[in-house]
Amino acid sequence: MSAPALSLPHGDGHDHAHGHEDGHGHHGHVTLQYQPGLPLSRGKLIMWLFLSTEIMFFAALLGSYVVLRFGSPVWPLPHHVHLSEPIGAFNTFVLICSSVTIVLALEAARADKAPQAKLWMLLTLLLGTLFLGVKAYEYSAKFSHGIYPWSPRSRVFEKPDLYYGSAVRARLGEPAIIDKLKELDDTPADELTAEHVAARGRLQQIRKLVTNPDQQPFDLAVIADQVMPLPSAGSHGHSSGLNDAFPWLRLPAVIPGGNMWASTYFLLTGFHAIHVGVGLLVFAILLGYRLDHARAGMIENAGLYWHFVDLVWIFLFPLLYLF
Amino acid sequence: MSDHSHSTQPPATHAPVTRPGETTEVHGTVPHAHAAAAPAAHAAGHGGDHGGEHAHGGLGTYLMVFLALCVLTTMSFFTYSSAWPWRDQPQVGWAFMMAVSCTKAMLVVLFFMHVLWEANWKYVLTIPAAMMAVFLALMLVPDVGMRTRMVAQERALYMPRQSDVRLMERAAEAGNAERGGEAH
Repeated sequence: MSAPALSLPHGDGHDHAHGHEDGHGHHGHVTLQYQPGLPLSRGKLIMWLFLSTEIMFFAALLGSYVVLRFGSPVWPLPHHVHLSEPIGAFNTFVLICSSVTIVLALEAARADKAPQAKLWMLLTLLLGTLFLGVKAYEYSAKFSHGIYPWSPRSRVFEKPDLYYGSAVRARLGEPAIIDKLKELDDTPADELTAEHVAARGRLQQIRKLVTNPDQQPFDLAVIADQVMPLPSAGSHGHSSGLNDAFPWLRLPAVIPGGNMWASTYFLLTGFHAIHVGVGLLVFAILLGYRLDHARAGMIENAGLYWHFVDLVWIFLFPLLYLF
Repeated sequence: MSDHSHSTQPPATHAPVTRPGETTEVHGTVPHAHAAAAPAAHAAGHGGDHGGEHAHGGLGTYLMVFLALCVLTTMSFFTYSSAWPWRDQPQVGWAFMMAVSCTKAMLVVLFFMHVLWEANWKYVLTIPAAMMAVFLALMLVPDVGMRTRMVAQERALYMPRQSDVRLMERAAEAGNAERGGEAH
């Protein structure tokens, strides 16, 4: 602790610094004294300043979400957009666990127990990866229902109007789909399950209605409901429409308010997932070091960042899944 | 701060901003190496930090906080269950969930981020950021009220209405009856 190379001059600092260099010459250059303005290490100060900007970043994102959410004429219920609340709660639990493990990694490093610290750090990395894995599964469930954050791929329509009807008609008229439909029509009934036979009957009815222009008037809401009914509460996001019976069909679906919901959901969770990914990268790098007392500062800073990521999810989970 | 860096008595300048445990350590270091002001600063930056914080926290505290966080998560998840008494008034659930989230956030910040045991610099960094965040959110409030008052004709054309939701719900009722009837 009392390294003479770091000692402060008594009189005029400048002269002494030169004399100091001659006298000891530990590093072969002038050693200047650094005094922090705040009594904490520079790394930690920078991390807190960075987190301050992050607080504002996510406050703006969450604020925009609230504006869009409560300023929209229609907002879908969580089960309408195939969100599963238990999965979200599970992910919350995973992040809380990872917050505990990174704190324990820091404690172990401070106590100079490097192998133990590495174990906790590894566990944190695994929990973070589990979080991202669950998130990816959730994203794929949205994609499979045609919910995308951008327009050319999204199959979500806001209401069952003429635009929706013409989109269904256009999809049924695509050459690849015509072949598939013909194949389905030619399949003997005993090769299909009872549900598939029933679904095929409903699909044939819809094709007759939509593709023939000189038909009796029909309700587009009924078509939309057959394609993908709005899942009821407690169904955990599963629906029993034609799109679910025949996944290759991928007909346009109606979710009132679904597009605005998708934009905010993917933006908020996407930015959060990027933050999780950065945290995992930091942990992976730290795992390459010996996590002893000397690295405690690094682990503390990584931990501060990780707790912030947890903090954001604490607000995202109720806002996105339970509101 | 610049005049401080020329001072020969840094422990005195340090004393008001460090917490009690740290100050004693700094004072304890000085008599051994009177000329060593820098080692004192060094101790405050690393060793002092470490020594002070290690006395707090501990496995027991962290496990208690973890349990509290789990219970709070279950509490906000409870609003989703059918046993929640205010299902017809979502605002009650929203207020409840935000209160629970703020409590969880406080627990994480105070214990996991060690802010409870930090010196007074924590106010310098967190209060301005919190004020900016609140101000940012408040600036958006007028938009909540104004957003749907004026819309472009094109947007009005594509915008869903509550009547569209009712239309879908009515179709779902009829459709479920049909699908349910076929399944049996």
